[in-house]
Amino acid sequence: MINILLIFWIISAIFIIREKKIYRMIIFLGIFSLINSAIFLVLGAPDVSLSEAAAGAFTTIFLIICLEKYYGFDESLVVTKKKEKTNFIKALLPIIFSGVLFLLFWYFMPPFTYNSYMKYQYLTYFNQDVGSHNPVTTVYLGYRVYDTLFEALILLVSVVAVKHVSWYSDSYVKDGEHSTIESNPIASYTIRAISPLVLLFGISMISVGLDTPGGGFQGGVVIASFFICRYMIYNVYDIPVKLITLIEKLIFVSIFLIPIFVVFVGLRTLVPETNLVVFQNIYIVLMNSLIGMKVTCGFVILFYRYIVVDRRTC
Amino acid sequence: MGFEFSLGVFPVIMFFIGYYGLITSKKVITSVIFISLMEMSGIMFFLLLGYRVGMIPPIAPVGDAGFLTYNMEYIADPFPQALMITAIIIGIAVTAINLSMLITLCKQSKTSNWSELKKLYSEGDF
Repeated sequence: MINILLIFWIISAIFIIREKKIYRMIIFLGIFSLINSAIFLVLGAPDVSLSEAAAGAFTTIFLIICLEKYYGFDESLVVTKKKEKTNFIKALLPIIFSGVLFLLFWYFMPPFTYNSYMKYQYLTYFNQDVGSHNPVTTVYLGYRVYDTLFEALILLVSVVAVKHVSWYSDSYVKDGEHSTIESNPIASYTIRAISPLVLLFGISMISVGLDTPGGGFQGGVVIASFFICRYMIYNVYDIPVKLITLIEKLIFVSIFLIPIFVVFVGLRTLVPETNLVVFQNIYIVLMNSLIGMKVTCGFVILFYRYIVVDRRTC
Repeated sequence: MGFEFSLGVFPVIMFFIGYYGLITSKKVITSVIFISLMEMSGIMFFLLLGYRVGMIPPIAPVGDAGFLTYNMEYIADPFPQALMITAIIIGIAVTAINLSMLITLCKQSKTSNWSELKKLYSEGDF
């Protein structure tokens, strides 16, 4: 089962490599990420599978918006050139080079076995330490919460970087202005019917992260896709980017402070032993929803920064 | 050492497919796509570590106190999974930064070919 899926994985990557048209390449990338998601499910990682399914959709959206936007700028995409004669040896050289590197890597690869005592420690004690039924959530909100903190910091830095890199003073769309791209009525009405379900799905995915697959990262990406639906229905740029950036920074500070309070002061010293599980569950749900809100804010800002300059307005 | 076949070979193949694409790509946007392929190979390598046939996801039934009554050999390792969730989300952020730099580059230099960009750079125009 896993071998067949991994062979399909390699074949889809070869399709991406051999493709000449960039739009088709992006569609093949979507198929690649679907196969990835299936493999993660077979490997026993439903959390990662949900995360990858949402992430693949977002990567496809970003690539297509980017391609639409730079299509007008890049002359080499519009003007067709004469076909250059490709030298056979020149085309074969990169294949030989990367093949030789692969064989070297394979020969010197250490034995692919892995035996971690951390696994047994986590699986034995996760329920009494943090009080959840999902060890993955326990690891990234309990034992390794500072890794999650720095991940949140990287997302914040990337949002700030995109905001500053993609700044054009001459072609800035004002708040409340409609996009010049016409919206399709059938697509608009369908999305209008579906989008409340998307929002509910995201909220439920965050709230069930305590006991079943799901959590802040996956639910946040799904809620961000609700805001994309909103843009596709109304076609108007009216998201207050500065306010959302401020909210994101405040949430980041609270993600920083709550674990410090819980880890260094300790829940066991504050609450009685009989109510400990309730407070542990409150901590997990609170942190999951904070991370979900932060991921939502980050991706909404990224998406609206990309669409702020339409292809025809500049 | 030696050419032993294991599941870990597949992500290595994927890494070098991405590498091949990166050294032969002519446009900047294809380079961005191949970088995300190489990143996915790393994520797959971490998740394949310690895989056995018939592994079950690490989700304890509600009511049990963890996995104390289970055979823990056949439960997937939660530690790499928790790290890889964050790695996937960071991957989107990295792609977003790359693409926004690409848009600015195209606006300023009117091209996205690596060879033409190299020519512009050597002439000192850009």
